[in-house]
Amino acid sequence: MTNLNNFKTRLKIAKDKLKSSSKNIDNSGNNSSMGSAFKLSTDLVAHVAVGTIIGFILDNWFDTKPWLIIIFFFLGSAAGILNVIKTAKKMQEKE
Amino acid sequence: MATNPMHQFQVHRIGPEIKIAGIDLSFTNASLFMLLSAIAICGLLFLGTREKKIIPNKFQLISEMFYNFIAKMINDTAGSKAKPYFPFIFSLFMFVLFCNMLGMLPYSFTVTSHIIVTLLMAIFIFIAVTVIGFLKHGLGYLKLFVPSGVPIFLLPLITVIEIISYLSRPVSLSVRLFANMMAGHTMLKVFGGFVISLGMLGGWLPLGFSVALTGLEILVAFLQAYVFAILTCIYLNDALNLHH
Repeated sequence: MTNLNNFKTRLKIAKDKLKSSSKNIDNSGNNSSMGSAFKLSTDLVAHVAVGTIIGFILDNWFDTKPWLIIIFFFLGSAAGILNVIKTAKKMQEKE
Repeated sequence: MATNPMHQFQVHRIGPEIKIAGIDLSFTNASLFMLLSAIAICGLLFLGTREKKIIPNKFQLISEMFYNFIAKMINDTAGSKAKPYFPFIFSLFMFVLFCNMLGMLPYSFTVTSHIIVTLLMAIFIFIAVTVIGFLKHGLGYLKLFVPSGVPIFLLPLITVIEIISYLSRPVSLSVRLFANMMAGHTMLKVFGGFVISLGMLGGWLPLGFSVALTGLEILVAFLQAYVFAILTCIYLNDALNLHH
Protein backbone atom coordinates (compact mmCIF):
# COMPACT_ATOMS: atom_id res chain seq x y z
CA MET A 1 0.00 0.00 0.00
CA THR A 2 2.84 2.39 0.86
CA ASN A 3 4.33 1.51 -2.47
CA LEU A 4 1.17 2.59 -4.24
CA ASN A 5 0.98 5.86 -2.28
CA ASN A 6 4.59 6.49 -3.07
CA PHE A 7 3.82 6.01 -6.73
CA LYS A 8 0.82 8.33 -6.55
CA THR A 9 2.83 11.18 -5.05
CA ARG A 10 5.55 10.67 -7.60
CA LEU A 11 2.97 10.77 -10.40
CA LYS A 12 1.52 13.97 -8.99
CA ILE A 13 4.94 15.61 -8.79
CA ALA A 14 5.70 14.58 -12.35
CA LYS A 15 2.37 15.92 -13.60
CA ASP A 16 2.90 19.24 -11.80
CA LYS A 17 6.32 19.51 -13.37
CA LEU A 18 4.85 18.90 -16.80
CA LYS A 19 2.19 21.55 -16.21
CA SER A 20 4.64 24.20 -15.07
CA SER A 21 7.05 23.47 -17.87
CA SER A 22 4.36 23.73 -20.52
CA LYS A 23 3.11 27.05 -19.14
CA ASN A 24 6.05 29.27 -19.91
CA ILE A 25 5.75 29.59 -23.64
CA ASP A 26 9.05 30.47 -25.21
CA ASN A 27 10.94 29.20 -28.19
CA SER A 28 14.47 30.05 -27.17
CA GLY A 29 15.74 27.05 -29.06
CA ASN A 30 19.28 26.40 -30.17
CA ASN A 31 19.28 28.05 -33.60
CA SER A 32 16.10 30.09 -33.46
CA SER A 33 17.93 33.42 -33.81
CA MET A 34 18.86 32.78 -37.44
CA GLY A 35 15.39 31.32 -37.95
CA SER A 36 13.72 34.48 -36.67
CA ALA A 37 15.99 36.55 -38.91
CA PHE A 38 14.64 34.64 -41.92
CA LYS A 39 11.12 35.05 -40.55
CA LEU A 40 11.39 38.81 -40.06
CA SER A 41 12.84 39.54 -43.48
CA THR A 42 10.25 37.58 -45.43
CA ASP A 43 7.38 38.72 -43.21
CA LEU A 44 8.10 42.36 -43.98
CA VAL A 45 8.02 41.72 -47.74
CA ALA A 46 5.00 39.42 -47.60
CA HIS A 47 2.89 41.94 -45.68
CA VAL A 48 3.50 44.66 -48.25
CA ALA A 49 2.83 42.24 -51.12
CA VAL A 50 -0.39 40.90 -49.62
CA GLY A 51 -1.60 44.42 -48.82
CA THR A 52 -0.99 45.51 -52.39
CA ILE A 53 -2.71 42.42 -53.82
CA ILE A 54 -5.78 43.01 -51.62
CA GLY A 55 -5.86 46.62 -52.82
CA PHE A 56 -5.62 45.48 -56.44
CA ILE A 57 -8.50 42.98 -56.03
CA LEU A 58 -10.72 45.51 -54.23
CA ASP A 59 -9.95 48.10 -56.92
CA ASN A 60 -11.17 45.70 -59.58
CA TRP A 61 -14.32 45.01 -57.54
CA PHE A 62 -15.34 48.57 -56.80
CA ASP A 63 -13.88 50.12 -59.96
CA THR A 64 -11.92 52.78 -58.06
CA LYS A 65 -8.76 52.11 -60.00
CA PRO A 66 -5.74 53.72 -58.42
CA TRP A 67 -7.03 54.62 -54.94
CA LEU A 68 -7.47 51.41 -52.98
CA ILE A 69 -4.20 49.95 -54.21
CA ILE A 70 -2.39 53.02 -52.87
CA ILE A 71 -4.19 52.90 -49.52
CA PHE A 72 -3.64 49.17 -49.10
CA PHE A 73 0.00 49.44 -50.08
CA PHE A 74 0.55 51.76 -47.13
CA LEU A 75 -1.64 49.64 -44.86
CA GLY A 76 0.44 46.59 -45.84
CA SER A 77 3.65 48.45 -45.08
CA ALA A 78 2.22 49.51 -41.72
CA ALA A 79 1.23 45.90 -41.01
CA GLY A 80 4.72 44.68 -41.89
CA ILE A 81 6.46 47.22 -39.68
CA LEU A 82 4.00 46.63 -36.84
CA ASN A 83 4.68 42.91 -37.10
CA VAL A 84 8.45 43.42 -36.92
CA ILE A 85 8.05 45.68 -33.86
CA LYS A 86 5.83 43.08 -32.19
CA THR A 87 8.30 40.28 -32.85
CA ALA A 88 11.20 42.39 -31.63
CA LYS A 89 9.31 43.21 -28.43
CA LYS A 90 8.63 39.51 -27.87
CA MET A 91 12.30 38.71 -28.42
CA GLN A 92 13.33 41.40 -25.93
CA GLU A 93 10.94 40.10 -23.30
CA LYS A 94 12.55 36.70 -23.50
CA GLU A 95 16.01 37.99 -22.70
CA MET B 1 22.26 24.15 -71.96
CA ALA B 2 23.56 22.20 -69.01
CA THR B 3 25.38 25.27 -67.70
CA ASN B 4 22.12 27.19 -67.44
CA PRO B 5 21.65 27.64 -63.67
CA MET B 6 17.87 27.38 -63.94
CA HIS B 7 18.00 24.14 -65.89
CA GLN B 8 18.03 22.10 -62.68
CA PHE B 9 14.52 23.29 -61.76
CA GLN B 10 12.84 21.93 -64.88
CA VAL B 11 10.11 19.41 -64.28
CA HIS B 12 10.03 16.63 -66.85
CA ARG B 13 7.93 13.56 -67.29
CA ILE B 14 9.18 10.10 -66.40
CA GLY B 15 7.39 7.25 -68.12
CA PRO B 16 4.09 7.46 -69.99
CA GLU B 17 1.78 10.44 -70.07
CA ILE B 18 -1.25 10.02 -67.83
CA LYS B 19 -4.21 12.29 -68.39
CA ILE B 20 -7.36 12.05 -66.30
CA ALA B 21 -10.24 14.40 -67.15
CA GLY B 22 -7.93 16.82 -68.90
CA ILE B 23 -5.54 17.11 -65.95
CA ASP B 24 -1.96 16.04 -66.50
CA LEU B 25 -1.20 13.51 -63.76
CA SER B 26 2.00 12.08 -65.24
CA PHE B 27 4.79 10.87 -63.01
CA THR B 28 7.51 13.54 -63.04
CA ASN B 29 10.92 13.95 -61.46
CA ALA B 30 9.24 16.10 -58.79
CA SER B 31 6.90 13.26 -57.86
CA LEU B 32 9.85 10.84 -57.94
CA PHE B 33 11.76 12.89 -55.36
CA MET B 34 8.68 13.36 -53.18
CA LEU B 35 8.20 9.61 -53.26
CA LEU B 36 11.89 9.03 -52.51
CA SER B 37 11.83 11.30 -49.47
CA ALA B 38 8.64 9.66 -48.20
CA ILE B 39 10.29 6.24 -48.62
CA ALA B 40 13.47 7.48 -46.92
CA ILE B 41 11.48 8.80 -43.94
CA CYS B 42 9.48 5.57 -43.61
CA GLY B 43 12.66 3.51 -43.94
CA LEU B 44 14.50 5.51 -41.30
CA LEU B 45 11.65 5.37 -38.82
CA PHE B 46 10.99 1.70 -39.54
CA LEU B 47 14.64 0.79 -38.96
CA GLY B 48 14.71 3.03 -35.90
CA THR B 49 11.70 1.50 -34.18
CA ARG B 50 12.15 -2.14 -35.22
CA GLU B 51 14.11 -3.18 -32.14
CA LYS B 52 13.79 -1.09 -29.03
CA LYS B 53 17.06 -1.37 -27.18
CA ILE B 54 18.19 0.43 -24.06
CA ILE B 55 21.47 1.16 -25.81
CA PRO B 56 20.16 2.35 -29.19
CA ASN B 57 21.78 1.73 -32.54
CA LYS B 58 22.33 4.62 -34.94
CA PHE B 59 18.91 4.52 -36.60
CA GLN B 60 17.09 4.34 -33.29
CA LEU B 61 19.20 7.21 -31.97
CA ILE B 62 18.39 9.42 -34.97
CA SER B 63 14.66 8.64 -34.85
CA GLU B 64 14.51 9.32 -31.12
CA MET B 65 16.41 12.55 -31.63
CA PHE B 66 13.92 13.76 -34.24
CA TYR B 67 11.00 12.72 -32.04
CA ASN B 68 12.36 14.54 -28.99
CA PHE B 69 13.26 17.59 -31.03
CA ILE B 70 9.76 18.01 -32.43
CA ALA B 71 8.02 17.08 -29.18
CA LYS B 72 10.03 19.69 -27.29
CA MET B 73 9.43 22.28 -29.98
CA ILE B 74 5.65 21.77 -29.89
CA ASN B 75 5.59 21.86 -26.11
CA ASP B 76 7.69 25.01 -25.94
CA THR B 77 5.87 27.04 -28.59
CA ALA B 78 2.27 25.86 -28.50
CA GLY B 79 1.90 24.34 -25.04
CA SER B 80 0.47 20.98 -24.02
CA LYS B 81 -2.82 21.60 -25.83
CA ALA B 82 -1.05 21.12 -29.15
CA LYS B 83 0.01 17.55 -28.35
CA PRO B 84 -2.70 15.96 -30.55
CA TYR B 85 -1.19 17.74 -33.57
CA PHE B 86 2.21 16.12 -33.05
CA PRO B 87 1.86 13.60 -35.94
CA PHE B 88 0.99 16.35 -38.40
CA ILE B 89 3.88 18.64 -37.45
CA PHE B 90 6.30 15.72 -37.25
CA SER B 91 5.45 14.51 -40.76
CA LEU B 92 5.54 18.08 -42.09
CA PHE B 93 8.98 18.71 -40.63
CA MET B 94 10.37 15.36 -41.80
CA PHE B 95 8.98 15.80 -45.31
CA VAL B 96 10.39 19.30 -45.77
CA LEU B 97 13.71 18.30 -44.22
CA PHE B 98 14.12 15.22 -46.40
CA CYS B 99 13.06 17.04 -49.58
CA ASN B 100 15.65 19.75 -48.82
CA MET B 101 18.36 17.27 -47.94
CA LEU B 102 17.74 15.00 -50.94
CA GLY B 103 17.98 18.12 -53.07
CA MET B 104 21.54 18.60 -51.80
CA LEU B 105 22.70 15.40 -53.52
CA PRO B 106 24.32 16.01 -56.92
CA TYR B 107 22.05 15.41 -59.96
CA SER B 108 18.97 15.37 -57.73
CA PHE B 109 15.90 17.56 -57.87
CA THR B 110 14.76 19.87 -55.07
CA VAL B 111 11.01 19.60 -54.67
CA THR B 112 10.80 22.52 -52.23
CA SER B 113 12.37 24.91 -54.75
CA HIS B 114 9.01 25.05 -56.53
CA ILE B 115 6.56 27.55 -55.12
CA ILE B 116 3.53 25.44 -55.99
CA VAL B 117 4.71 22.73 -53.55
CA THR B 118 5.44 25.10 -50.68
CA LEU B 119 2.37 27.25 -51.33
CA LEU B 120 0.13 24.18 -51.26
CA MET B 121 1.56 23.11 -47.91
CA ALA B 122 1.28 26.66 -46.53
CA ILE B 123 -2.33 27.08 -47.69
CA PHE B 124 -3.23 23.71 -46.19
CA ILE B 125 -1.72 24.81 -42.86
CA PHE B 126 -3.47 28.19 -43.08
CA ILE B 127 -6.89 26.63 -43.71
CA ALA B 128 -6.36 23.95 -41.06
CA VAL B 129 -5.35 26.51 -38.43
CA THR B 130 -8.31 28.74 -39.28
CA VAL B 131 -10.73 25.81 -39.05
CA ILE B 132 -9.19 24.68 -35.74
CA GLY B 133 -9.46 28.22 -34.39
CA PHE B 134 -13.15 28.53 -35.29
CA LEU B 135 -13.90 25.04 -33.94
CA LYS B 136 -12.21 25.76 -30.59
CA HIS B 137 -13.46 29.31 -30.02
CA GLY B 138 -16.43 29.72 -32.33
CA LEU B 139 -16.91 33.29 -33.48
CA GLY B 140 -14.68 34.37 -30.60
CA TYR B 141 -11.75 33.53 -32.84
CA LEU B 142 -12.45 36.80 -34.65
CA LYS B 143 -11.14 38.55 -31.51
CA LEU B 144 -7.71 37.78 -32.97
CA PHE B 145 -8.29 40.71 -35.32
CA VAL B 146 -9.43 43.11 -32.58
CA PRO B 147 -6.59 43.60 -30.11
CA SER B 148 -7.56 44.89 -26.69
CA GLY B 149 -6.48 48.28 -25.38
CA VAL B 150 -6.76 50.14 -28.67
CA PRO B 151 -8.55 53.53 -28.85
CA ILE B 152 -11.94 53.21 -30.56
CA PHE B 153 -11.11 55.58 -33.44
CA LEU B 154 -8.01 53.54 -34.33
CA LEU B 155 -9.86 50.23 -34.18
CA PRO B 156 -10.96 50.00 -37.87
CA LEU B 157 -7.41 50.73 -39.02
CA ILE B 158 -5.86 48.18 -36.66
CA THR B 159 -8.42 45.56 -37.65
CA VAL B 160 -7.60 45.97 -41.34
CA ILE B 161 -3.89 45.77 -40.53
CA GLU B 162 -4.43 42.62 -38.47
CA ILE B 163 -6.41 41.01 -41.29
CA ILE B 164 -3.62 41.80 -43.78
CA SER B 165 -1.15 40.39 -41.30
CA TYR B 166 -3.21 37.18 -40.94
CA LEU B 167 -3.63 36.75 -44.70
CA SER B 168 0.07 37.20 -45.35
CA ARG B 169 0.93 34.13 -43.26
CA PRO B 170 0.74 31.54 -46.06
CA VAL B 171 2.55 33.89 -48.45
CA SER B 172 5.51 34.49 -46.17
CA LEU B 173 5.60 30.82 -45.09
CA SER B 174 5.77 29.52 -48.65
CA VAL B 175 7.93 32.24 -50.18
CA ARG B 176 10.55 31.87 -47.45
CA LEU B 177 11.12 28.16 -48.08
CA PHE B 178 10.89 28.40 -51.85
CA ALA B 179 13.13 31.47 -52.20
CA ASN B 180 15.82 30.12 -49.93
CA MET B 181 16.02 26.77 -51.68
CA MET B 182 15.91 28.21 -55.18
CA ALA B 183 18.44 30.99 -54.50
CA GLY B 184 20.84 28.60 -52.82
CA HIS B 185 20.74 26.02 -55.59
CA THR B 186 21.06 28.65 -58.32
CA MET B 187 24.08 30.12 -56.55
CA LEU B 188 25.71 26.70 -56.26
CA LYS B 189 25.18 26.10 -59.95
CA VAL B 190 26.54 29.53 -60.92
CA PHE B 191 29.73 29.01 -58.93
CA GLY B 192 30.03 25.50 -60.36
CA GLY B 193 29.81 27.04 -63.85
CA PHE B 194 32.60 29.49 -62.97
CA VAL B 195 34.87 26.60 -62.04
CA ILE B 196 34.47 25.10 -65.52
CA SER B 197 34.76 28.36 -67.45
CA LEU B 198 37.84 29.63 -65.57
CA GLY B 199 39.62 26.31 -65.93
CA MET B 200 42.69 25.05 -64.07
CA LEU B 201 44.17 28.52 -63.57
CA GLY B 202 41.39 30.58 -62.04
CA GLY B 203 38.88 27.91 -61.07
CA TRP B 204 40.17 27.28 -57.57
CA LEU B 205 38.57 30.32 -55.97
CA PRO B 206 34.98 29.56 -57.12
CA LEU B 207 35.62 25.92 -56.21
CA GLY B 208 36.37 27.03 -52.66
CA PHE B 209 33.23 29.15 -52.65
CA SER B 210 31.25 26.17 -53.90
CA VAL B 211 32.50 24.00 -51.03
CA ALA B 212 31.68 26.70 -48.47
CA LEU B 213 28.25 27.31 -50.04
CA THR B 214 27.45 23.59 -49.90
CA GLY B 215 28.00 23.68 -46.14
CA LEU B 216 25.84 26.79 -45.86
CA GLU B 217 23.13 25.21 -48.00
CA ILE B 218 22.97 22.16 -45.75
CA LEU B 219 22.50 24.49 -42.77
CA VAL B 220 19.81 26.43 -44.66
CA ALA B 221 18.08 23.17 -45.67
CA PHE B 222 17.79 22.17 -42.03
CA LEU B 223 16.96 25.65 -40.80
CA GLN B 224 14.16 26.18 -43.30
CA ALA B 225 12.52 22.91 -42.33
CA TYR B 226 12.83 24.00 -38.69
CA VAL B 227 11.39 27.45 -39.38
CA PHE B 228 8.51 25.94 -41.38
CA ALA B 229 7.64 23.59 -38.51
CA ILE B 230 8.07 26.18 -35.75
CA LEU B 231 5.89 28.74 -37.54
CA THR B 232 3.19 26.10 -37.91
CA CYS B 233 3.44 25.62 -34.15
CA ILE B 234 3.18 29.38 -33.55
CA TYR B 235 0.09 29.64 -35.76
CA LEU B 236 -1.39 26.64 -33.98
CA ASN B 237 -0.64 28.34 -30.66
CA ASP B 238 -2.62 31.40 -31.80
CA ALA B 239 -5.56 29.18 -32.72
CA LEU B 240 -5.49 27.06 -29.55
CA ASN B 241 -4.61 29.58 -26.84
CA LEU B 242 -6.42 32.71 -27.88
CA HIS B 243 -5.00 35.72 -26.09
CA HIS B 244 -3.82 39.05 -27.26
